[in-house]
Amino acid sequence: MAEARQVPEVAAPAVAQGNAAYAWPTHPTYMGTDVQRIDGPDKVTGRAKYSYDIQRPNMLYGRIVRSPHPRARVVAIDLTMARQAPGVKAALAVVEPNAILMFQGEEVAAVAAATEEQARDAARLVKVQYEVLPPLTSVEQAMSPDAPKVFPDGNVREGAAEETGDLAAGFKAAAHVVEQTYNTQVQTHVSLETHGCVCEWDGDKLTAWVSTQAVHGTREGFAQALKIPQANVRVITQYMGGGFGSKFAPDAQGIICANLAKQAGAPVHLMLDRKEEHLATGNRPSAYAKIRAGVSADGMLTAFDAQTWGTGGAGVGAGFPLPYIYQFPNRRRQHKDVYINAGGARAMRAPGHPQGCFITEVLMDELADLVKLDPVDFRMKNLPPDAPDARWRAYFPIAAKLFGWDKRHPTGDATPGPIKHGFGCSANRWGGGGRGSHAHCEILPDGGVIMRCGTQDIGTGTRTLVSIVTAETLGLPIDAVNTEIGDSLYPFSGGSGGSTTAASVTPAIRVTAVKALDALKAKVAPKLGVPPADLVASDGRLHARNDRAKGMTWKEACRTLGAEPIAVDGEWQPGLSASGTSGVQMAEVEVDTETGVSKVTRLVCVQDCGLIVDKLTAESQVIGGVLFGVNYALFEDRILDRNTGQMVNPNMEWYLIGGPSDVPEITAHLVDQPERGVIGLGEPPAVATAAAIANAIANATGVRLRSLPMTPDKVLAALEQQRAGGTR
Amino acid sequence: MAPKDETRSELDERSGVSRRFFLKTVGAGGVAASVIDGLQEALPHAQEAGTAAAPAAIGPGPVPITLNVNGQRLSLKVEPRTTLLDALRNHAGQTGNKRVCDRGSCGACTMIIDGRTRYACSTLAIEAQGHDIRSIEGLAKGTVLHPVQQAFAEADGMMCGFCTPGFVMSAVALLEKNPHPTVEEAKRALDGNICRCGTYVRVLEAALKTKGVARG
Amino acid sequence: MKAFSYVDAANEKDALASLGTERNQVLAIGGGMDLLGMMKDYLVQPVRLVNVKRLDATIARTPDGGLRIGSAVRLIDLIEHADARRMYPALVELAEQVGTPQIRNAGTVGGNLNQRPRCWYFRNEEFHCLKKGGATCFSVNGENQFHAIFGEGPCHIVHPSNLAVACLAYGATFRLAGPSGAREVEAEQYFQMPDHNLYAENVLQPNELLTHVTLPAPMAGLKSAAYEVRFKQAHDWPLAFATAALVMEGQTVKSARIVMGAVAPVPWRANEAERALAGKTLSEETAGRAALAAVQGAQPMSRNAYKVRVARTAVTRAILKAGGMKVV
Repeated sequence: MAEARQVPEVAAPAVAQGNAAYAWPTHPTYMGTDVQRIDGPDKVTGRAKYSYDIQRPNMLYGRIVRSPHPRARVVAIDLTMARQAPGVKAALAVVEPNAILMFQGEEVAAVAAATEEQARDAARLVKVQYEVLPPLTSVEQAMSPDAPKVFPDGNVREGAAEETGDLAAGFKAAAHVVEQTYNTQVQTHVSLETHGCVCEWDGDKLTAWVSTQAVHGTREGFAQALKIPQANVRVITQYMGGGFGSKFAPDAQGIICANLAKQAGAPVHLMLDRKEEHLATGNRPSAYAKIRAGVSADGMLTAFDAQTWGTGGAGVGAGFPLPYIYQFPNRRRQHKDVYINAGGARAMRAPGHPQGCFITEVLMDELADLVKLDPVDFRMKNLPPDAPDARWRAYFPIAAKLFGWDKRHPTGDATPGPIKHGFGCSANRWGGGGRGSHAHCEILPDGGVIMRCGTQDIGTGTRTLVSIVTAETLGLPIDAVNTEIGDSLYPFSGGSGGSTTAASVTPAIRVTAVKALDALKAKVAPKLGVPPADLVASDGRLHARNDRAKGMTWKEACRTLGAEPIAVDGEWQPGLSASGTSGVQMAEVEVDTETGVSKVTRLVCVQDCGLIVDKLTAESQVIGGVLFGVNYALFEDRILDRNTGQMVNPNMEWYLIGGPSDVPEITAHLVDQPERGVIGLGEPPAVATAAAIANAIANATGVRLRSLPMTPDKVLAALEQQRAGGTR
Repeated sequence: MAPKDETRSELDERSGVSRRFFLKTVGAGGVAASVIDGLQEALPHAQEAGTAAAPAAIGPGPVPITLNVNGQRLSLKVEPRTTLLDALRNHAGQTGNKRVCDRGSCGACTMIIDGRTRYACSTLAIEAQGHDIRSIEGLAKGTVLHPVQQAFAEADGMMCGFCTPGFVMSAVALLEKNPHPTVEEAKRALDGNICRCGTYVRVLEAALKTKGVARG
Repeated sequence: MKAFSYVDAANEKDALASLGTERNQVLAIGGGMDLLGMMKDYLVQPVRLVNVKRLDATIARTPDGGLRIGSAVRLIDLIEHADARRMYPALVELAEQVGTPQIRNAGTVGGNLNQRPRCWYFRNEEFHCLKKGGATCFSVNGENQFHAIFGEGPCHIVHPSNLAVACLAYGATFRLAGPSGAREVEAEQYFQMPDHNLYAENVLQPNELLTHVTLPAPMAGLKSAAYEVRFKQAHDWPLAFATAALVMEGQTVKSARIVMGAVAPVPWRANEAERALAGKTLSEETAGRAALAAVQGAQPMSRNAYKVRVARTAVTRAILKAGGMKVV
């Protein structure tokens, strides 16, 4: 059984060890300031061409036929009628007869036709004979002893128990014990640009414009699946409409698209629709935890005993870190992956962390209530020791001050009326950090600068970071740099996931730009009569360190190159980046206790990410991460019909994502840590939000929600239970 | 369980939505041609096109249409079922506005028709004839950005950028009617657009600080 | 979406001549917001569409002092109509709550009243539900958190129209034009429960058009308001909403019309609530008691009991709002 494609947290030092030759500038011009996205004008005008927008001469449109059944055996596939339909140029079966389909939306056949409408028409004429098999539709069903045995190695895969300390002693030392069950839902990525690509063959060479977070990884994927040399594949991703961890490979649709294009002898455009996207392109697994936890009378955590489970769909794991951050000296955990007949999980923005964070942080508030401690004070007592990648002890007080935490009332807003207000807090960690990127820099005789790197900009601003670092290093304006990324013809760089891109790419760019500059200095130095090592580049000039007059303009310097440009390669080196981030969030909510509707009114996020490269886009990342968390807390839920296992909300109407009117006031407080080097920021701010909101709802209402999303029905049910005298 | 034989079209038949049409289609072997045959038979009250009682029907095959897009006349040949968004994207190479949900839920396709925002994914191209259509391609004058575009670029009102054209159009329509909106008014005006990256805060900032939009 | 032919009807006569008698074969297209989505999802596959946007799109005063609204009037035009807002505030407030600006700019009054249910079993073609000619209402044992809390089934949709609820509250009549002339139907008689009509939500025949909504002149002392509860504040469907039309004499309610939305397969008139209010002095307590009466007969399903509480709140707040009292 395949594991979810988890982006590993990179093992790297928490503090950059320093790198004398390529050290980050101590008094930067651009780095750490607000630099506008260099491709902003292209995005706001619609000129930016995403893979979805690629149009090639004689291009056809592809369409996939998918299983409507969560579990079925394919008896026969008949493409005859589809092949005869108007405009159809290719048709193929994706699976053989007798194949067992394991989730709704699994690929069965595909067609390509001259127009998109014709492709859709023809897809509906593909005749598939299914033997429908009973599916596993929920974790409860899959775990029950009388469930049909659907997965060859069992519906449940039990992991090894993890145990530390002396659990019995821990509970003995506890003055209070909480015993509760917590759970989080399945969340889909909902990238606005759906998965897909345009494939075009030239003989045995394939060019694919793919909506991907990894042009190089996707090249490899195509080569492997199509059994062609990697050198015969070129993957291009100039602009990418969101991936959030779900877009690292060609996937089934990519291979199908390439095969359709081959069969038709024409380029094929195959982008999924929204329903396919929900069903077949990944999700964040659900998480369940039955926990017993103890706290001493003086508010120290003593014991933690958890049984956990969750589903990543058909054959994919559902792991998550637990307990999260806080130190339970005596602990045990037993985890099970539960398989059901639903689309498989993939990495999703901080895989595992929002689940582990929600469960632990809600538990923490329950324990704090029992010992009657302020949630922040309680956390401060139980945090791990301070370290460069564990700065919560510093950040809780900063967040509290920014937020006005001292105005928090005890659990349960005593104000009369149905509208209740509350505060909640939580903390997050993430690795980040990166390595392995290469780059190529050319300095042209006319003064032009090209920086190439086979990374991609998935919306985080990578293209802008490359320009910033290059311009900073060469002492040029940002728009003097031609940054070229998003093409597997460019030097290797890894996939953009796990908050590893900035830490992987920017050191490579720095090293490469320094090397290119050194080469230029070597050419210019004799002409200026200054040793190369004494030359510096700033303000569009090359000049002696201590004598600005002794120099020449950048253009003059480049003219000395004659006909031969400088062309150098460089790669990531240690000492310019690090790993490990920490953050704290605080939320204020307003709950209508007569409707169950919760609104988030305010959020404060204190977050570090090492050395900040572009403050403007970094803050955008933080704001976006927090809103990702708001959606996870309140709105998002992949809902399967409990009887048929089919998804009932595969759209953007009933799969809720907050809009402008759902946006709280957000304070994004970035902590700059220049001494640590670049780390990365995509995942961290999305982790803690849901837990902070859950704790705020409890603070407002006096009832605790232990299940995401926190919809009105759950709020009202908890209030009802409280009125009826039920357990807290 | 017994094997089930399914094409999606047969499911259509099962649900009774187009039984006669479907049978006719299969029998003829050519979808487009048979639609017209099937149509006449399926409609007890339908009159022959061109007779006195009922106005002429056009389609279902491609028909010539003329659209007024960004002040330019655009002549295309599309089927009646082609949406305005698809007509511009697939038939005119204007891919600035995006297709995201294709169901009027997300706003990435937002264009301005006769001064008001519309979902181009849920507007038939034939029905957009005779109206003043403005898409994202029509805002900038060469390299000079529209004030709203400039404000989005400055405020970083975008991340991946896929929702951005739609948001820009909604903001333009708002500001042409109400140059000084409150935060609440701006939120309401932009509520038909969704951003997955979560750029709303800066989108709103951009909308609120834009200066110099002429009243529409 | 299947291919279709298209008729651009210049007037009511042309439009009627283009329709047929078989259900879903020829369909009228107004704003298209609902219809095109239905067609893209292959839930209806008409062979012909008839444009009805060129039919009457005006709002006119009637001789008795009411308003006559053409079905082709767009929601945005209704929202911006000063007389409509002054005379029928609940109708306009509910129009403002519909969907999004883009939807309100395209959607028509007729389209809003005649749109099909949003039930997710109905809307996904995998589920061959009762309404689509199948044998099962999947909501009964399934995911029914947004389904009806009133009605005996066999189908448990909630009616999707905002305007329909206000139309009942204001006692509107609908003009239905057909091949043999036009008929007037009271709003309350227009919408049909699934046990009367499983395959459509109203009495409109395939060869008929809903052409006008006529609202009677507001009675002296009429005070009205709507209150909608939705979860997501941007674009979302209401969990429940209510319209209260109170005829007041000072602080006393002479008579009331209370209609709830998103709780039943039709706009749900709360007769018990109306009786509970009649003759009472308006207060938080009387409003609350009326709201309790409004949900007395609710029969929630396995996952939607919370909607009873939500509907009760919506009724209370609609009444208080209509009476000009403070709401939360």
